[in-house]
Amino acid sequence: MSDNPNIYKPIRAKLLEVITESPTIKTFVMEPEEDFSFKTGEFIELTVDGIGEAPFTPSSSPLETKKIEVTVMKTGYVTEYMHNMKAGETLGIRGPFGRGYPIEKFYDKEVLILGGGCGFAPIRSLLYSLAAISDKLRKVTLCYGSKTPDECIYKPYVEQLRNTPKFEVLRTVDIPDETWNESVGVATVLLDKVKVDIKNSVAVCCGPPIMMKFGTIRLLELGFNDDQIYLSMEKNMSCGLGKCGHCMMGKYFVCKDGPVFTYDELKNTPSIWE
Amino acid sequence: MKPKIEDFKNTRFFENFNDKHLEMIANISSIKKFKVEEIIFEQYKELSELYVLLEGSISLGISLPQRKRIHLSTIEEGQLFSWTAVFHPYISTAWVMAVTPVKVIAIDAKKIQKEINNASGLNDCEFGFKFMKKIAQTVSHRLNDTRFQLINQLSL
Repeated sequence: MSDNPNIYKPIRAKLLEVITESPTIKTFVMEPEEDFSFKTGEFIELTVDGIGEAPFTPSSSPLETKKIEVTVMKTGYVTEYMHNMKAGETLGIRGPFGRGYPIEKFYDKEVLILGGGCGFAPIRSLLYSLAAISDKLRKVTLCYGSKTPDECIYKPYVEQLRNTPKFEVLRTVDIPDETWNESVGVATVLLDKVKVDIKNSVAVCCGPPIMMKFGTIRLLELGFNDDQIYLSMEKNMSCGLGKCGHCMMGKYFVCKDGPVFTYDELKNTPSIWE
Repeated sequence: MKPKIEDFKNTRFFENFNDKHLEMIANISSIKKFKVEEIIFEQYKELSELYVLLEGSISLGISLPQRKRIHLSTIEEGQLFSWTAVFHPYISTAWVMAVTPVKVIAIDAKKIQKEINNASGLNDCEFGFKFMKKIAQTVSHRLNDTRFQLINQLSL
């Protein structure tokens, strides 16, 4: 959290580097003018002067307070503008907002993470946090799906993770090319491959709504209880304070009560996948 | 070579079957191996065996006229494939190829159908119900994966 007394006023952050992750996804490395910390899974509002504001969950380690990274897919007005920004330019940051992952509940458990597309961004932040407490965990398995090998992001990080004790990475793509030698199919096919001790596990699901829907169904089939499944919901968050109502989902404000929920909390909420 | 009961117990498909049922299936099954890029079966061919993947990785796909093979999905260890071998007209709807060296349990499709139909052997319908329930689950997974893939491709 920053010391900024006005929650609506962004703190300034200098863009240090722009990393191209895929043809449509870039990572923005920023240096806030003040120390800025967040818990994994919490989100920030990023301001582009004169253009607008959009919510992102940081993809960097919560243990890093001098720099913050967000990974952005080009999908709309603000994100398209951001994709043309260069190192040296300035952005604004508000937050952090919401409720992140209750990491302490993962102690002494196996953590199964299902992610897709740009959903790897918040997951990477979570993975950094889990790596920092790996002595307290049994195992971490990441199942990640993307459309094509080109769209697989964080390639160097994935290689690093594969050499980290207790961490396993499984990847799949919908459309393989001749260089691809991992799984083919949607992200949920990877759940057929994992061997987990369900009773002593938690599952985390983060990605496009369609993946979250089919992923949750498959996790329930595997035997996970509703309260063992953590979902990172992405809903049109705007104010970040539970005031504007843009992100309302049933009785919840995703920006304030989430974005991380257990499936148990959401299962009776209408239209959670829409 | 006939598979051992332990071979079945290590698969997700047969994890809840009892020893009596597994012994019966073992008696009508054999262990088969396939080399890298070997076609296990082609599309639109009559199937005489059901397979459970024990070791390795296989690719499932379809062929379209005038086009190369299209890879749709990878099947993982412990999964059953060629489920159409127990449904009339017993024709494969996809091709399956070994991506790595592969070891499978090959179950005689006609004999397992007899057991499912309770026409011989165990004289208990529990096996048939359990087996068909697992087949339905496999097909349900494929259907869900296909819907998911379709939505991805249509970028909805």
